[in-house]
Amino acid sequence: MNTRLLMMLHVNVTTPQNVGAVPHGTRRIAPISGGVFEGTRLRGTVLPGGSADWLLLRADDVLEMDLRVTLRTHDGALISMRSFGLRHGPPDVIAAIGRGEPVNPATYYFRTTPRFQTAHPAYGFLNRLVAVASGDRRAEGPIYTIHELL
Amino acid sequence: MNSQPLMLLRLTTSPTEEVGATPHGTLSIFPVTGGSFEGERLRGKVLAGGGDWVTGKADETLELDLRVTLETDDGALIYMTFTGLRDDAHHYFRTLPRFETAASKYAFLNRLLAVGIGEIRTEGPVHIIEEIL
Repeated sequence: MNTRLLMMLHVNVTTPQNVGAVPHGTRRIAPISGGVFEGTRLRGTVLPGGSADWLLLRADDVLEMDLRVTLRTHDGALISMRSFGLRHGPPDVIAAIGRGEPVNPATYYFRTTPRFQTAHPAYGFLNRLVAVASGDRRAEGPIYTIHELL
Repeated sequence: MNSQPLMLLRLTTSPTEEVGATPHGTLSIFPVTGGSFEGERLRGKVLAGGGDWVTGKADETLELDLRVTLETDDGALIYMTFTGLRDDAHHYFRTLPRFETAASKYAFLNRLLAVGIGEIRTEGPVHIIEEIL
């Protein structure tokens, strides 16, 4: 698998909305209040409206993540990003993340697969790529290292 | 990003069902009639009945949405889906497979994300699928 760094994305998560036990698992929604992204080809901020991560904790203790964020580049283009992801790890590591403690991201699996949509011609290349990301859950929100799949 | 080989998937398809211009683009459905998959940890055949729902978009790229059922050589059923992007102008054909199974031997598939590199060969589509580590 050949990849190239696309950007680092930091998102800020606010108080989660605990929907609770639903037929598929335990649903929690983590609203995103903002953030920043930076790469050689794009940089800017995360818009708060409509940006959140829809989380589902499954019966096998795997957390499914369904992130949707709107990115605004430094030159004003809007980019809609969606990514599906999985997070799981040893129970003590996952518990430490839950308590907001710093955890080495190499000790658990946190991977996502971002896709992008934009109408802005300068960023049209994003419409035509598939990406993979590794996540690092910090107390204030995850940091994603996003790679373009070449 | 690190990855490791998961399987080579070969699909056979029957004639395309051309649905035509819909509000989202040009929809073509590629029915899957069978195939095979092979990797170090799993191998078997593709069952008939799945397909790839392919939408041609205004930028001349294709959005892929595949669903198939895999049957391993020891009788487990694995539901596999992928979304993906095919851009023939740039020789780019990449997919994001996901798996669901109830067989404990293959439960590792429920817990991984994968990427695929697709190719259209004369005998049908072939996907080289790697697990994202």
